[in-house]
Amino acid sequence: MLILGIETATDQVSCAIGGHEGVLALFEVLRGRRHAETVAPAIEMICRQADVTLDEIGAIAVDVGPGLFTGMRVGIATAKAMAQALRVPVIPIASLDLLAFPLRHADRLIATVVDARRDEVYFAFYRQVPGGLQRVTGPAVGSVDDLVGELLARGEESLCVGDGALRHRELIATGARRVEFAEQWLAHPSAAPLVQLAHAKALREEWVPGSAVVPLYLRRPDAEINWATREVAR
Amino acid sequence: VITLLSSSPTDTKAVAAAVAAVVRPGDLILLVGEMGSGKTAFAQGFAAALGVIDPVTSPTFTLVHTYEGRYRVHHADVYRLERMAEVADLAIAELADDKDAVVLVEWGDVVAAGLGHDLLTVRLEPTEAERPEQRVITVSGAGDRWAERWPRVQAALAAWVG
Repeated sequence: MLILGIETATDQVSCAIGGHEGVLALFEVLRGRRHAETVAPAIEMICRQADVTLDEIGAIAVDVGPGLFTGMRVGIATAKAMAQALRVPVIPIASLDLLAFPLRHADRLIATVVDARRDEVYFAFYRQVPGGLQRVTGPAVGSVDDLVGELLARGEESLCVGDGALRHRELIATGARRVEFAEQWLAHPSAAPLVQLAHAKALREEWVPGSAVVPLYLRRPDAEINWATREVAR
Repeated sequence: VITLLSSSPTDTKAVAAAVAAVVRPGDLILLVGEMGSGKTAFAQGFAAALGVIDPVTSPTFTLVHTYEGRYRVHHADVYRLERMAEVADLAIAELADDKDAVVLVEWGDVVAAGLGHDLLTVRLEPTEAERPEQRVITVSGAGDRWAERWPRVQAALAAWVG
């Protein structure tokens, strides 16, 4: 089965086609931040270049964040629309998991850190276990100080990856010690690990209908706004 | 906290222009006050001072309006929203991260969690029934961005301090 992966949770736009042979086609662009203008032509291009027609796609994989809401709404809406039109299921995967996956052979704590803007970050920690990675902390949202506090509490060598880690590199390095940073080209989740992880899930039929896919909100999305003042005004 | 007295919507626009003179890209300003208190008038004066030519209207039903001036001005209104997920979808923090942009959020005080530490809050309140156009405006800053600029903010607004 072929899987189309759509990734727009950070500044990078990425899409890929993969299956049991691995990744067959990959598109990535970081500069520009024009998710809406980029994603559909990119999908069309990789399908054409890889000689894949849309009716061969058996599932759509999409990064559901946490990340940029301006980006995610483009990718998730595209995934939902394509899943509906093609009558295929969707495999939602978290951005923080996608950042950790390429580092799964690292023998230390992996901290994935996505820039949440306004000096906040989304983060999760992972540890190598037989056969893959285990998430040991998070996903959480907090200040850079919160992240540093969590790293210090762990008190072990760690590898930080993600656009949030690079943006706040100095603060993290000064505060947490014994921390190294992964390369810039690993700092944005990519559709390549997305289709690979999704393929494993597809074999177990771990998927949902497109209508069930929602972005990963880490700030209590169902919390009602405390509108005490507005009620008075109304 | 700076407390000012505005005599009319025109005066409120002048206060807004004075605030606009000290803003920097990345600033996020919360506009607080009941319906008709002058939040949109403030936004109009603010945008005009930044060279926005397009008419500035209330974004109550469209949620976010974006104007091009000396800086880009994103003008949001969260009044119609019920849940924090809807606020997240507006991506206010991302708008503030936009290069060369400043963000105004009407009714923003109720959703300040998640907008970071650096905020300027402008509160507009009617005074007495005999002077329906008069407003008390309180301006308060939070975070390092505003702390380092506070003397300039005070100087810019000195003319309205009672």
